[in-house]
Amino acid sequence: MDQIDHAAAPPIIELRNFRYTYLEGTPRASEAIRDVSFSIRRGERVGIVGPTQSGKSTVVDSFAHLLRLKAGQVFHDGEDVATPGYDRGALRRRVGIVFQQPDSQLVEDVVGADVAFGPTAAGLSAEETRRRVEESLDALGLPYPEYRLRYIHALSGGQRRRVAIAGVLAMHTPVLVLDEPMAGLDPRGRRELMELLIRLQKDRDLTLIVCSASLSDASLLCDRFIVLDAGRVVVDGPVREVLREPGRLAELDITLPEPVLCARELGKLFSDLPTAVLTEDELEAEVLKRLGLV
Amino acid sequence: MLELQRNVIFGQFIDTGSWIHRMDARIKLTITFVLTVASFLIDSFVGFALIFPLLVLIHLIARVPLSYVLRGSRLFLGFLAFILFFQVLFYPGEAPESSYLWRWGFLSVSTVGLYTAGILGLRVIFLYYVTTMLMLTTSLVDLTNGLELIFRPLQKLRVPVNELVLVFVIAIKFVPIFVGEVERLARAQTARGVPFDEGGALTRARRIGRLLVPIFISGFTRADLLTTAMNTRSYRGGRRRTKFRRLHATISDWLILLLVIAWVLLAWQLPDRLGA
Ligand SMILES: Nc1ncnc2c1ncn2[C@@H]1O[C@H](COP(=O)(O)OP(=O)(O)O)[C@@H](O)[C@H]1O
Ligand SMILES: [Mg+2]
Repeated sequence: MDQIDHAAAPPIIELRNFRYTYLEGTPRASEAIRDVSFSIRRGERVGIVGPTQSGKSTVVDSFAHLLRLKAGQVFHDGEDVATPGYDRGALRRRVGIVFQQPDSQLVEDVVGADVAFGPTAAGLSAEETRRRVEESLDALGLPYPEYRLRYIHALSGGQRRRVAIAGVLAMHTPVLVLDEPMAGLDPRGRRELMELLIRLQKDRDLTLIVCSASLSDASLLCDRFIVLDAGRVVVDGPVREVLREPGRLAELDITLPEPVLCARELGKLFSDLPTAVLTEDELEAEVLKRLGLV
Repeated sequence: MLELQRNVIFGQFIDTGSWIHRMDARIKLTITFVLTVASFLIDSFVGFALIFPLLVLIHLIARVPLSYVLRGSRLFLGFLAFILFFQVLFYPGEAPESSYLWRWGFLSVSTVGLYTAGILGLRVIFLYYVTTMLMLTTSLVDLTNGLELIFRPLQKLRVPVNELVLVFVIAIKFVPIFVGEVERLARAQTARGVPFDEGGALTRARRIGRLLVPIFISGFTRADLLTTAMNTRSYRGGRRRTKFRRLHATISDWLILLLVIAWVLLAWQLPDRLGA
């Protein structure tokens, strides 16, 4: 869309030796992030993966300055977001986060009003707001006329999650962050959400960041993984590179994709079988090759 | 606003493992009761000055950082100052003509009004400090057990002691949960474009107003969940429950209680005797 040379522009998000302690300086302090550095470029699709409590949510909350940040650690478009006078409102209109618990995202009682909350706060006209609400709800399979006036508290968990996602989509942020979006969805819901995200990412040229404790969700959606453990980056690299060392990931209690698990087992038969296979088809092709059938 | 828990610590428990933390909960409750009564009996600045070292002593022994308590009381103290300001301005009592410092219609500032507001303020702060300290140093389990044991004799009169204690303890614990809830909603709205971390005091206060309805709704949901959780675990009042932890008071616990009572009597009576 834009003509900027992506390689030369500053990274859209950058963390430099990011550390974070909740309730710092009180007896209830808890150290969440010990030392995290990485940068994310425009249009990248990044999975932030790690066991629970590894600091995924804290890391993504920092992207929109939802924490008490110190200067010199979190940068957006090359600018330190913690400098006094930095326009946090504008930052939050560029970085949309779907929280881990959808319930902590919802601010109104009625579906339509909740999805309209972001666009209204951004000062969009009533007409444009309505259009975005309709578009976002439809995209998530909640038909606008039917769901517009429904009470959020009366919806199921999966539906509330969709409303939460719609509320963030309606803000049309160039960066979209989803914190464990697949949790609590049934297999069909997961597939639909996955397809929606892939489509949106292409259509809107989004920078997409997905947190997950499971590599199988993220592997189809992302090109790059940042693996966290106990507030530190353990691995950072392209999906296939990360999957080359499944033993290390399994140690961290990260769920590996089915094909990778199979490949690990089959590795006992074929010692040169790669574990970095993303789909069953790829695995099948590799095995057939070794059986001399192709 | 994004870390409201820092500014409201009422109802929190901080385990520093101090001697006060390990004290028998019944004794601690009794001491709290004695000090509560004291806050109503003492009615002079000298009296409060006399009781002040006791609070310092309690604080030093409990080892809860002072800065934490002070910052955690900011909201409360601000609110108190606000109330007292109006208390002075609208002082309703009779004041001798000489004590007026300023007057405008029915608004006035008089030395009598200032004195009354000062004593009232000290009383409220004293009460607040004592109850906050009780909660900071007593776990919920100890608090429940202690209250149940103290009021057990009332069971003979068919007072539902255990249920009342449970309701009381849950009510206290709802304060931190409530604070967490405000924090959560503020964060959600901030993420979606209504900043709770910017703007002056008035803007922020107006924004908090918007949170009230959702907070009440989530409060009801929580209460509902709690009831279900207790029902599925077949909770029924205390008599047939076995206790995992037993309380026991040592001689030193009783001595401390006596010391506190003596100290309170001193702070209550001494100013009058000196004045007379
Ligand atoms: N609001 C909070 N207050 C205090 N501690 C927190 C809070 N949120 C997270 N933590 C702590 O920070 C650490 C990292 O948590 P989090 O970022 O939620 O990890 P993850 O998303 O990977 O599960 C945990 O140890 C957690 O206890
Ligand atoms: Mg998380």
